Amino acid sequence: MQSVVIAGYARSPFHLANKGALARVRPDDLAAQVIRGLITKTGVEAADIEDVVVGCAFPEGEQGFNIARLVGLLADLPISVGGMTVNRFCGSSMSSIHYAMGQIAIGAGEVFVCAGVESMSRVPMMGFNPLPNPALAAKSAAYMSMGETAENVATKYQISRADQEALAVSSQQKAAAARDAGKLTDEIVPIQTKTGLVSEDGTIRGETTAEGLAGLKPAFDASGSVTAGTSSPLTDGASAVLVTTEDYARAHGLPILARIKSVAISGCAPETMGLGPILSSQKALERAGISAGDLDVVELNEAFASQALACIKDLGLDTAKVNIDGGAIAIGHPLGATGARIVGKAASLLKREGGKYALASQCIGGGQGIATILESVE
Amino acid sequence: MSDNTIKKVCVIGAGTMGAGIAAQVANAGVPVLLLDIVPKEGANRNAVAEGAVAKMLKTEPAPFMSKSAAKLVETGNIEDHLDKIAECDWVIEAVIERLDIKQGLYAKLEAVKRDGTAVSSNTSTIPLANLVEGRSDAFKRDFLITHFFNPPRYMRLLEIVTGPATDAAVAGKVEQFADISLGKTVVKAKDTPGFIANRIGTYWIQLGLNAAFDMGITVELADAIAGKPMGVPKTGIFGLVDLVGIDLMPHLQASLTSTLPAGDLYHGIARDIPLINKMIGDGYTGRKGKGGFYRLNKEAGRRKETIDLQTGEYRPTVTAQGPRGAAAKGDLKALVESKGDIGAYAWAVLGDTLAYAASLVPSAADDVVAVDDAMKLGYNWKAGPFEMIDKLGAKYLAERLAAEGKAVPEILTVAGDRTFYRIENGKRQFLGLDGEYRDIVRPEGVMRLADVKLSSKPILKNASAALWDIGDGVVCLEFTGKMNALDGEVMKLIGQAIPLVAAQYKALVVYNDADTFSAGANLGLALFAVNIAAWGEIEKLVAGGQLAYKGLKYAPFPVVGAPAGMALGGGCEILLHCDAIQAYAELYCGLVECGVGLVPGWGGNGEMIDRWRKAPGMPKGPMPAVAKVFEMVSTAQVSKSAQQAREMMILRGDDGISMNRDRLLYDAKQKALSLVEGYTPPEAPEFKLPGAGGRTALGLAVEGFHKRGMATDYDVVVSGVLADVLTGGDEFDLVDTVSEGELLKLERDAFMGRLRDGRSVARVEHMLETGKPLRN
Repeated sequence: MQSVVIAGYARSPFHLANKGALARVRPDDLAAQVIRGLITKTGVEAADIEDVVVGCAFPEGEQGFNIARLVGLLADLPISVGGMTVNRFCGSSMSSIHYAMGQIAIGAGEVFVCAGVESMSRVPMMGFNPLPNPALAAKSAAYMSMGETAENVATKYQISRADQEALAVSSQQKAAAARDAGKLTDEIVPIQTKTGLVSEDGTIRGETTAEGLAGLKPAFDASGSVTAGTSSPLTDGASAVLVTTEDYARAHGLPILARIKSVAISGCAPETMGLGPILSSQKALERAGISAGDLDVVELNEAFASQALACIKDLGLDTAKVNIDGGAIAIGHPLGATGARIVGKAASLLKREGGKYALASQCIGGGQGIATILESVE
Repeated sequence: MSDNTIKKVCVIGAGTMGAGIAAQVANAGVPVLLLDIVPKEGANRNAVAEGAVAKMLKTEPAPFMSKSAAKLVETGNIEDHLDKIAECDWVIEAVIERLDIKQGLYAKLEAVKRDGTAVSSNTSTIPLANLVEGRSDAFKRDFLITHFFNPPRYMRLLEIVTGPATDAAVAGKVEQFADISLGKTVVKAKDTPGFIANRIGTYWIQLGLNAAFDMGITVELADAIAGKPMGVPKTGIFGLVDLVGIDLMPHLQASLTSTLPAGDLYHGIARDIPLINKMIGDGYTGRKGKGGFYRLNKEAGRRKETIDLQTGEYRPTVTAQGPRGAAAKGDLKALVESKGDIGAYAWAVLGDTLAYAASLVPSAADDVVAVDDAMKLGYNWKAGPFEMIDKLGAKYLAERLAAEGKAVPEILTVAGDRTFYRIENGKRQFLGLDGEYRDIVRPEGVMRLADVKLSSKPILKNASAALWDIGDGVVCLEFTGKMNALDGEVMKLIGQAIPLVAAQYKALVVYNDADTFSAGANLGLALFAVNIAAWGEIEKLVAGGQLAYKGLKYAPFPVVGAPAGMALGGGCEILLHCDAIQAYAELYCGLVECGVGLVPGWGGNGEMIDRWRKAPGMPKGPMPAVAKVFEMVSTAQVSKSAQQAREMMILRGDDGISMNRDRLLYDAKQKALSLVEGYTPPEAPEFKLPGAGGRTALGLAVEGFHKRGMATDYDVVVSGVLADVLTGGDEFDLVDTVSEGELLKLERDAFMGRLRDGRSVARVEHMLETGKPLRN
């Protein structure tokens, strides 16, 4: 199989939905600016791009009409470049990377922009017209709120509120430290808004303390342990990575961040969807022929502190290697955009930290996990 | 002056009063500049004014009628932004009550203001003549006093004082704006200390305190006498002082004793009360402090306690045996002639207060109407002093005063055995000092149904409603039951009115003079019917209400709803069936049926869905409008202003808001007349409802609220039933078209189903008994 690499990563700043600096930015405009930024940053020849594959969890309203095609047009990509929208909820844009890798493998193109976007300000979670199947709702937890699934995981794994809060504090501190050290600057494409240029994340709360978090009320169950402080916030944001063959990247002098070693998808019980990364990561590790101990970098999406802790435990991950620059509790989780962010981030960290293998994995509403193993490229 | 309208206002002084006045200007949709001093510390030079706006956004009762109103307040400071006054048509000064500071500010204002820009002071104590000392003639022409009451949004009185040099056109401009835009009733006062309301009010309070101490009666008994039986708020006098702040009393006293002329009766009653001084010293300044004459003892399990006026010690509050019979129900003569402490205290307070008020015409007020309006609107008295004297008898009062060797005010002698008010040729008249009666002249556009009633008989009338001819071919449908509750009689009268109006009149307005437009369906009656299992009768009532409301909606003439105050449940639903709404700004409106375990049953569901699906910017598809309505109705959301009712889509784009309560009927009538020409009734809507999928989505959301402890077990049941109705029940699928009649049947069935559930009945009973919702 051809060596497929991540040859560039960019994202918008992430901001809280509804009250943040990106609330008034259309998601298609947001994604287009990020893709334009990625192309400028990598120097890739736009005409060589086969397809723009955009992940989006609620592709309706301003995210509707096959947003991928519209984003390509908004970004002034050559008319010959395609566009496809992918939906696997939170795993959408990681799936777009997997799809591109598959397309390359079957000889259906060489250069792909794999992006993700979600404006949780402008398209509500569940969409504008949620119409769940009553029969399925009656027999399964397919439609259960994400917060409830996080409570279920906390109960099942007996994860205390204090442990969840410790992870949240650590995530906020790591993210704030990374931001303050300028380590997030490179990946962020400043976004032009009606009121000016937005170039920094608006989500990170470095001042968060365990005491502060301990004062919050449970957000999903009056007798539960999950709070707004131990959940990822509703976020607006977009991300993109350039996926291509190693040969193409080398031939065109593109900045290779890492090679995609293996990928996996798995299903799990919807009521504990937060455990999705366990099986999918195990499958991806096996396909890569390595074990968790071989990982130097892990980007594990913190949808909730409880599920992140459960996954760390079951996968036997070294916490020092997990979410080095902070996770989604601090950075935010714009559903469709997270997959490309954590793959891009894991690839960048592998290069920055000088390791061999990285894992990017996330849980998915409805009960799934998705994982990607990256390998450094000499 | 070419343009006599006020388009922008500046308020200087962002304390409680200034900020509150600015908020009310913003509530009227008029931009307002709020300035205060530059704080001594901190980098933000506008911090004082900005802080005042931020504080008001959190204050309850809210000074702003909506969050959007707050955006009309521009904040600044008097050092950097005074030149912006050139853009303003009215500058209201509400700074600290110090003559030197006010005069200094006016000198600066004079340098930047345009000629013709009105400047007014919100002073409550300083004479106008002193305020304008040293100012130019031009400044004096533009200057007046506008004395607002706290809180400015809710208190309807505005006392206006003009000086000899004040330009009538300038004062007229301010008066008109205060009346129409700020919704105030303007009472013209003379340039005398305390003007009208506070002068009488302070005298009354001092009398009440003195008499209770002197007679050795308890605080509870004093308030039980000088409260509801006197037609004043039930706080009574001690409760009122707790509310406004005990520490305010020495200031008021000092101000009045230093400014009132030597012979004024107030000097005879003003005194230092040692216990009050001690309470203030100890921090017992009233509700804002550690407590006052009453307190909640938190150490004793939030026990309500009262101070003993003799010992100064707190003890558990007791219920006083206050006036009974006629004396408790507004018969003032019976009250002051009651035996023992009750009669003695009542007379000691009321007799001298009324005598004092009577002595202020014409020195402080031009006529008796001004005095009565001031006390009714500034102190929330049910009747003004002269209206009280009419109840007591002017002759009786004069004779009793004379018998006690007290001075009898001239106007009492003029009245003799006559009343101060009378009805003559259908007009309300008042007695002047010259002994002549004159018509009470309302400003143009002020109209009360009570005035209409003086000169006419109802077209239709039954136990719960009446229909009045309000002129120009317009009729008024009035509810008349307790809390204007709605029942079969109301529906019957509507049914009779429709053919009558269609044949003989042009338009109909739904309005009444009461503080509560309608508390909704008569629950007591419904409960009675449930208890005797008169299901058929109840269903008939529900169907009858639907028929009556739809009858109004499709009548061949325009119907305008004109609510003020509460319009709940069925009271909200009748508004939803009107062609237009003209609402008083203070509107507390919503579909609250779920609170008592029911669902809207008089067409409210369909009307709200129809409003929301037509709302600008709503996403397409079957769910958005339904989800909005579900959220509002399942949580029994009630607007806290007409502006909020507009945000809830109860009011629509062309619907109007009257800031002045007294103008509501006139405005509604004008709106109705404007709809007459070419009027065609609306077409019946058809609905595409989301069906079972939508119902499932709403159910999942409620489950989340239940888990979070925000919805009770029975809330889940009731909102499930509501979701059934809003999504089309079992019968209708996403692809079906649901007629208005079919939706009405769904809500009727759902309503009946809930009423047969004991948990709903328990909610209704609890509401009737306590006035509060049962959270079962």
